[in-house]
Amino acid sequence: MSSEYSYDEQGQFFPFFILTLSGLVTLPLTYTLLCPSKDEDALAPRIKTDYKTEHAATVDALRTTQKRKQWRVKRAIVVVVGWALMAGMVYLIMVTQRTVPKLWNPYDILGVSESFTEKQIKSHYKRLSVKFHPDKARPDPAKNETLETLNDYYVELTKAYQALTDEDVRNNYIQYGHPDGKQSFSMGIALPMFIISDGNGKYVVLVYTMLLGVLLPYLVGSWWYGTKRRSKEGILMESANNLFRQYEEGIEEGAIITALSTGKEFDEVFKGDKADAGLSKIESRITAESDTVPIASGMSVKDKEQLEDLDNGVRRKALALLWAYLGRVELDDAALTKAKYEVAPIARALNQSFAAISLAYGNIDPIARSYSTSQHLIQAIPPKASPLLQLPHFTNSVVTAVEGDSKTHMSVQQFMDRPDATRRELAVGEDLLTDKQYDSAISVAKQIPYLRVAKAFFKVTGERFIIPSSLVTLVIKGRFIPPGTENIPAVNELDLEDIDPDEDDLEGNSGKKKVLKGPDGKPILVDEQVISPPLAFAPHYAREVSPKWYAFLSDSKQGKMAVPPFAFTKFDQPIVDDKGNPTFNMQTLKAQFAAPPQAGHYTFVLHVVCDAYVGFDTKMEVTLVVEEASKAAAMQAEDDISEPEEDTLAGQMQALKTGQAPKPRRNDDDSDEESGTEEEEEDTSATNTDTEDES
Amino acid sequence: MALPAFLDIDWKGLALPFAYVIVLAGALMTFSSVYRKRKAAESANLAPWFGPHLQRNIYLSLLHMQPEEGGEKTPRIPDSVLRAALLRRAVEDIRRLIQIKNAKQACSSLLQRGSVGDDLWQRFQRAEKEMEAELRDVVQEANALAPNWGQSIFQSAHEMAGNAHIRTQIDDLLATTESEKKWWEKRRGQIQSDFMKEIDSSEQSPSKAASEEDAVLVDTPSKSKKKGAKK
Repeated sequence: MSSEYSYDEQGQFFPFFILTLSGLVTLPLTYTLLCPSKDEDALAPRIKTDYKTEHAATVDALRTTQKRKQWRVKRAIVVVVGWALMAGMVYLIMVTQRTVPKLWNPYDILGVSESFTEKQIKSHYKRLSVKFHPDKARPDPAKNETLETLNDYYVELTKAYQALTDEDVRNNYIQYGHPDGKQSFSMGIALPMFIISDGNGKYVVLVYTMLLGVLLPYLVGSWWYGTKRRSKEGILMESANNLFRQYEEGIEEGAIITALSTGKEFDEVFKGDKADAGLSKIESRITAESDTVPIASGMSVKDKEQLEDLDNGVRRKALALLWAYLGRVELDDAALTKAKYEVAPIARALNQSFAAISLAYGNIDPIARSYSTSQHLIQAIPPKASPLLQLPHFTNSVVTAVEGDSKTHMSVQQFMDRPDATRRELAVGEDLLTDKQYDSAISVAKQIPYLRVAKAFFKVTGERFIIPSSLVTLVIKGRFIPPGTENIPAVNELDLEDIDPDEDDLEGNSGKKKVLKGPDGKPILVDEQVISPPLAFAPHYAREVSPKWYAFLSDSKQGKMAVPPFAFTKFDQPIVDDKGNPTFNMQTLKAQFAAPPQAGHYTFVLHVVCDAYVGFDTKMEVTLVVEEASKAAAMQAEDDISEPEEDTLAGQMQALKTGQAPKPRRNDDDSDEESGTEEEEEDTSATNTDTEDES
Repeated sequence: MALPAFLDIDWKGLALPFAYVIVLAGALMTFSSVYRKRKAAESANLAPWFGPHLQRNIYLSLLHMQPEEGGEKTPRIPDSVLRAALLRRAVEDIRRLIQIKNAKQACSSLLQRGSVGDDLWQRFQRAEKEMEAELRDVVQEANALAPNWGQSIFQSAHEMAGNAHIRTQIDDLLATTESEKKWWEKRRGQIQSDFMKEIDSSEQSPSKAASEEDAVLVDTPSKSKKKGAKK
């Protein structure tokens, strides 16, 4: 009894095998390709304006090329090939008829029904043996019979008969499915026969070597070096290294721009002779003197010196183009103009890496300046220039007319806070804006989402006090009020509270719904919404940007970062209604971090920064009060007995007790966290060392 | 059969598996040796963290200008000059040392997060080692020039560096004096003329409230215009 392996000679199994394999790859890929596009930027609202810059066509062309790059062509090709392969395999499966191995069945051979009794079988067999005995039957050439086949057939008949009548043979039949006992069995391998057939061996070995010896190492290697080539921020490692070397503690925005030009990404943009083409022209244009600003591109004398110190080449050209972009300097050359708009998105990507580097250093100035550089890059405004340039049609001469001879720049809010007549008088005039241009500028300004923080406080979910090393939530409450909005409704006090969902409330805890305080003071559940802010108004920037808000805490005395930034891109309340008017909904931003391990009062500066607009940042002081764990527990126990009203004697006592420390500072015993109070502070650098969560 | 059964091996048939093992092992070994050599060459070619150390070069060349053979008539470098040069060198070292100390934590955390590359870290570590050797060298030199000076040279160097830093800041501030002065002069003139104008106008037309009302009137139509534009 031998066993043997048989290959798939008729090709009836391997299509199944390949179908399954290709299906495993193709189906998930197809899903990722066709799944509802996550690209919310396409769905995000836009700021409505009819303003077009002079080079709007170039900027738009660059935006479309970028979008086309993201089309995932490779994946689509793989999916198409996969589906073709699967279709082919299905076709093969349909076409090949299956050879079903026949089971040896004595009843079929004898041609009797299974209900026959032994007697009937016997008589049937006798009749057949008379007819088919090799001695009797004559081979019939017409039926392609020979003596041998007749012989075999008779033996079969006999076997079948014995299987049904003889005890031993019947046992064999029952046990092994065949009267002769154990049969050889074969293992099918779903590989087509040609793989092992003679002569093909060498090709198979060749393919095998190519797959395992060449393709696999190549794929693994390219993946490995691909991941090593780019940093976590998605820029080339070499650029990141250069940026790290450029970091300085007191780096200014202009110096950051200079540092960004070290990026290796620019090498790809300015290949070959492109590196020097038109460089002198750009430089003469950007360093030219104009009547409104000392240097046309808005660079400082120091920045100019740094540019001139560079060697000719890619870096110098990239830097010159960056300044041309920031200063909105006209270059009068299609190729140069295109390059000018191309460098800004690259510089912004590099700037993100620079922000990560300055975050690692932890000094607040470079971090803030790196965010500010991002704003300036998106809006195409040189550092230290007026934020008013963000508005359409505003040029340096208009800005000078509006700002007068002031030393400090006027922000868009300040400009919009003035009465319309005053604004108009300043901005409209000969060589300045026309009435129509002024109106379009104002309409854009009235759509800029400006997050005005109403309140910021700390809390621990489900607890009344913040104890050392607990997981603190920073809650920022604010409303989007575009500059120049009139009739701003007063803040609803109920909106400012942040209520924890009940512990047994699954929906509230899972974050699907959130709790609001209704008008009667009772908590109500509201469905959580996800609202994208409108895309940034950035007519010069060759990408579409969804603005992000960053909130971080710094220690103002040491100039260090205390809690690293949290990014917010989506909000929980609609920002504008159907007509595009602001809704004044209270937005809630939350960020969690670990409280300092020592009790005390910590005063932080809260920064809320929008990365897309210049001059819309918020800075405010917040105080984190951390209580001793034992004291908090004691207070908790007391509270359980009865909660004294604020204005009763017990309440006063409670207030005195809780605020025992040097001076009784608590007048409101419910909110143990208050913003804007000035307290002594302790070492806050310990804030982010301990991540234990004890709550 | 002359040979015992266990020696009767089909060597020809075994050649293939042996070749396979040899080729595999050989390939891996070449790969590893080439890779290591490349790495070593790469790290040897890494750019130094700091530029050339000018102060050290000055000090060393001063030191070697000492007359060695009595034949040549080179003037003897006075010890005070040598000391000053060494102090300058120490100041530069302090500057570099502070830079390295500040960068160390940031660099290692960035490396862990994958925000900067491996070779930056290697360069950094080498710079650190060089710095250590340099400090030791300066201390030895100082001790050779004056007994026990090595213990205090870096303290004075640190103070000098701090002083120089403050001085540059003051210079930067003072450099803006001229433009500030000019601006304030201009501003004063402007305020004066504005004030005079105001006095004149208030004498002529005392109806200030009326003009304010006027402004409000202008405000309303433009507002409605904008709302219309938005719809």
